Amino acid sequence: MDHYYHYTVEELFLDEDFRNWVLRPTREDHHKWESWLADNTEKLEIVRQAREMVLHIHPKEMALPLSEKKIAISKILEGRREVPPSGFGRKPLLFPAYLRWVAAACIVLLASWYFLLPPDGHRVDYEGLVSEAPVPLVERVNKSNFPLEVVLEDGSHITLSPKSKISFPNKFNADKREVYLSGEAFFDISKDTSRPFFVYAHEVVTKVLGTSFLIRSFGNEQEVSVRVKSGRVAVFARQDTQTPRDQSKELTGTIIDPNQQIVVVRASVKMTKTLIPIPEIIVEPRHVNAFNFDDVPVQKVFETLEKAYSVEILVDSSVRFECPLSANLADLSLYEKLDLICKAVGARYEIIDGRIIIEGKGCK
Amino acid sequence: MSIEGVICDEEETLLWQALLGGNESAFESMIQRCYDLMFQYGLKFSKERELVKDSIQDVFLEIWEKRQALNKNIPPKAYLLASLRRKLHRLQQRNKNVLVADPTRFYTEFQIEFSAEYRLIEQEEDRINASQITGMLNKLPARQQEAVYLRFFQDLDRYAIAEIMNIHPQSVSNLLQTAFKFLKSNWLYWIAIGFGLSALNF
Repeated sequence: MDHYYHYTVEELFLDEDFRNWVLRPTREDHHKWESWLADNTEKLEIVRQAREMVLHIHPKEMALPLSEKKIAISKILEGRREVPPSGFGRKPLLFPAYLRWVAAACIVLLASWYFLLPPDGHRVDYEGLVSEAPVPLVERVNKSNFPLEVVLEDGSHITLSPKSKISFPNKFNADKREVYLSGEAFFDISKDTSRPFFVYAHEVVTKVLGTSFLIRSFGNEQEVSVRVKSGRVAVFARQDTQTPRDQSKELTGTIIDPNQQIVVVRASVKMTKTLIPIPEIIVEPRHVNAFNFDDVPVQKVFETLEKAYSVEILVDSSVRFECPLSANLADLSLYEKLDLICKAVGARYEIIDGRIIIEGKGCK
Repeated sequence: MSIEGVICDEEETLLWQALLGGNESAFESMIQRCYDLMFQYGLKFSKERELVKDSIQDVFLEIWEKRQALNKNIPPKAYLLASLRRKLHRLQQRNKNVLVADPTRFYTEFQIEFSAEYRLIEQEEDRINASQITGMLNKLPARQQEAVYLRFFQDLDRYAIAEIMNIHPQSVSNLLQTAFKFLKSNWLYWIAIGFGLSALNF
């Protein structure tokens, strides 16, 4: 202990034993330091100052909200299931996993101007929309090969994919928030019910109050899709730049809920509502082993899945699935779960209009 | 590099061994345990959260994939941070080759800023101390800062730091010693000035 006698404040600050005493004190530490200070009272002030320094000087760190961490971790666990045991199939980093996974949100893929444009050839495109915007806009273009983070005035985060651009005002209107996109971007919109958030991406308009979603509006793809994991968004198409803007608060469009997606086949301009490829658990069940079923009626199993994945599972009302099921479905995807259950009770399922329809004779 | 003699958290080692054996809940617990540390460390090399998160994901998925081939006795935290650091460096190299690379994407070296919570410090004298110490910490060269950060703010021992920074444990000690000396000499300078000023007041 005696070597501490000549220590200065900053030497104590970077002394392991001293820091441990301040930050994670044990009874022995207390005894050791208190008795040393009792013998060397002239050191009390130096020690007090050094304590203050240890307590209040830190590296500046960025906050990692619990929700964000949870999502990131579930992505890792999800990714693990996709990795074949042989070790092949590693995904390249240039396609960040979140882009595919982004069931976390919703994806709007842009209806192209090819087929939505009116016969006279008036296209609704990014440049046109931006030039007609009522307020001055700032444009960000991502020419790199990596996603680019953009933070808006209202606290919303946008992750702009390569070869994409976005325009937005420095300050949003009092009644709505409007941005213009060409390409692909992930949106994490801060909630503000008094100011709906609109994304104009060519002919497709996406309206949200507060959620996160991914929009793609590249011109060279066959399909356009909108996916939702949480929250709810409205998607609608339009034919020219003027019409929707004025009544945008009244626009209805197609509503999509968590785990649903809108797919627009560009050649036919047909919008189909379906489920995303790998539906995510939306509401974490309260019990840890909620998917480990032990003698649970199949009907109840369906209800558990319905709640967890926020999807509708419809069974013909004349049919009952009352037989008990014992199975641990914890580590399976929604479809794998359904496959197993249906196999067990001799039923089939179909996905129609974003809902799961169970067909079969039932069981007792 | 030798990593023998590392005393590491027993619980972590048990988790590590369980996950290498294919235990999924151990894998998840390990991620839960180390995610924050890896995230904060990763942000010292790139400011893009999504990129850092993707890299952490890759580190864990690679571990899960290669779990049968990995050493059961390495200190897990050091291995995780070392893998993340390598991954970010590799991405940085690749980024260099991209014609229109965003120069702000990656820092060329470890970047950190130390700061003090001034509103929690009551005495004026302590506030001055704090601003001097943070000022000096922020002036340290990047590698010394990295060693100081890992040693004193993440409580890793010099063997773990050596593993992470891919240098010899003795070099870690040297980096810490140099940082220490720098702080001390500057401190004496500040004290001298301090005394000089207070002498003028009388």
